[in-house]
Amino acid sequence: MWKYLLEKEFKQFFRDPGLPRMSLMFPVLMMLVFPFAVSMEIRNINLAVVDSSRSEESSRLIEKCISSGYFRLVSVCGSPDEAMRLMDDNKADAILTVGSDFSRDMETGDGLPVGVKVNTVNGTKGSISAQYLQNCIRMYMSGRNDSGTAGMPGIDVTERYYFNSYMDYKLFMIPALIVIGITMITAFLPAMNIVSEKETGTIEQMNVTPVSKSAFIICKMVPYWTVAFFVLTACLLLAWAVFGFVCRGNALWLYLYTTLDIIVMAGLGLLISNYSSNTQQAMFVIWFFAVIFMLMSGIFTPIASMPEWAQAITYLNPMRYYADAIRAVYIKGSTPLDVWYDAAGLAAIGAVMVGWAIASYRKSS
Amino acid sequence: MDMNAIEIEGISKSYGSVQALRDISLQVRCGEIFGLIGPDGAGKTTLFRIMTTLMLPDAGRGRVSGLDIVEDFALIRRTIGYMPGRFSLYQDLTVRENLEYFATLFGTTVRDNYENIKEIYSQIEPFGDRRAGKLSGGMKQKLALCCALVHRPSVLFLDEPTTGVDAVSRKDFWNMLARIKASGVTIFVSTPYMDEAALCDRLALIRDGVIIGAGTPREIVSGFPFRLLSVKGDRMYRLLKVLRDTDGVISCFSFGDSHHLTYDPAKTDREKILGILTEAGFGGCIVKEIEPGIEDCFMWLSKR
Repeated sequence: MWKYLLEKEFKQFFRDPGLPRMSLMFPVLMMLVFPFAVSMEIRNINLAVVDSSRSEESSRLIEKCISSGYFRLVSVCGSPDEAMRLMDDNKADAILTVGSDFSRDMETGDGLPVGVKVNTVNGTKGSISAQYLQNCIRMYMSGRNDSGTAGMPGIDVTERYYFNSYMDYKLFMIPALIVIGITMITAFLPAMNIVSEKETGTIEQMNVTPVSKSAFIICKMVPYWTVAFFVLTACLLLAWAVFGFVCRGNALWLYLYTTLDIIVMAGLGLLISNYSSNTQQAMFVIWFFAVIFMLMSGIFTPIASMPEWAQAITYLNPMRYYADAIRAVYIKGSTPLDVWYDAAGLAAIGAVMVGWAIASYRKSS
Repeated sequence: MDMNAIEIEGISKSYGSVQALRDISLQVRCGEIFGLIGPDGAGKTTLFRIMTTLMLPDAGRGRVSGLDIVEDFALIRRTIGYMPGRFSLYQDLTVRENLEYFATLFGTTVRDNYENIKEIYSQIEPFGDRRAGKLSGGMKQKLALCCALVHRPSVLFLDEPTTGVDAVSRKDFWNMLARIKASGVTIFVSTPYMDEAALCDRLALIRDGVIIGAGTPREIVSGFPFRLLSVKGDRMYRLLKVLRDTDGVISCFSFGDSHHLTYDPAKTDREKILGILTEAGFGGCIVKEIEPGIEDCFMWLSKR
């Protein structure tokens, strides 16, 4: 009996016009397109310069900024107002103002005759631009001091990035993308599948057969679990083949945490399908959860920088634990002993979800 | 076999504040075609869902093939066949796959039961490799019937099987039912079409969740206390008004090219009405006694 139920689900899966292609395209897109698209590295910042000093010193500073590769010089303006206008017209993202006393002040070391203004309509871009600009200025200063004459006692700060030595954003995002993909596949696709059986009435026909409901539901989910593990494997292989990234830790732990996540998501998927009577409703609920899961998981923005009430919410988000664990294992080489709390979080949420889902499923019959 | 195939007693069911079924009791004998006749929203499907163990009643008890609909639900599911009103087989599986799938779920095979469904299945067998979603309406219906019969059920539940089916296919379908009945299966069928009622051995009329009448079609018609006349003449609209004002006339409606008039035989009769018409200047009207149909009975019963 189980064999036939499974056979039917797989048959339907492969006959679906979209699903098989989607499960192939998913890892490819996730690994080859998204890491570039979601990169937080900011390049091509449009820079306007107001150079009141017009000295050799100031032009060397400007050159230093441009040669960093992050900035594109839009124009050298005569007045601050002109530069402001450029920013208002969205032609400049940042303005560097060099005071008229620049070269003299540099000699004496008084004050800071350099101003930085950034456009923070896009907050991330703004703060990163400001940081880059400051870095360039600091580098210029220290460069001057090295060769310099009456130099200031510069503090030499060197940074070293652990686990991701080049601060490669792709390495940071790849495990997160895997997390998003697996969650979508294992929670939302089965939910849609079950709801669509509800909609077409086939579930009714199934319920008058001697097949138990649990057997029916489990057989419905198995194809998606298979796909999830396929996607995970394909992503790991692609990340290695294309970017040369390998999992620092034992890849087995990735599979372990994925299994845990799948259990949580199976519960969530069943819950959604129990409470929605048509695919439209289900879609909306799914969309709601997907957005919350992603934004409150620490995937894009660090949880530590959220306000406390928001941090409290993240504790209810299974993706928080899953993403944290996968990143730790993949980038840092952690073992489940190091991130046991992620396993505990997933297990706790999973127990509640699955319990609730089964209870509400029984009641709906 | 004098055991009843279906016995239900005092079944009630509400959805929130809406009472879908009120104290329903029915007996269906083994080997008969029992019709549940009523308009949309009368509670037919709810009753089906309770009898097929898909839903629990709020009150009342019932037995199908001697099995309790609440306690023995698992056993009932093995012994009944159910065809819901909407086509609900897998559209992305082929005809043969659907049939084999449902046979397997009941722990049997198509080959073992081929004889049972042969007559119907042979009509769709040439399209065995076609996906169910690509079949015509009539063929879908035949496939659904095959799937409901493939495990040799003793009671077959058909919820509005002929809704949305053309007249010829409907006739075909009732012929199929007669043959299924001949093989010893009890059939419980619902329909909103009053003309199909006469094809049932016995029937129950349901309206707003209440059974308003039950029995053989003949019994139901003979319980009708009034008589019907068909009146045809010139100036039909004026005629209708005059007839409605006539003493002893219960109701009068235009029905095609004539008027159907219901009168109380205790107060008036055909001759009296003819006399009144002639007096009112409607000489030469053709007035005929007609037999009441199930629909007339239904109308009367639901007004009572």
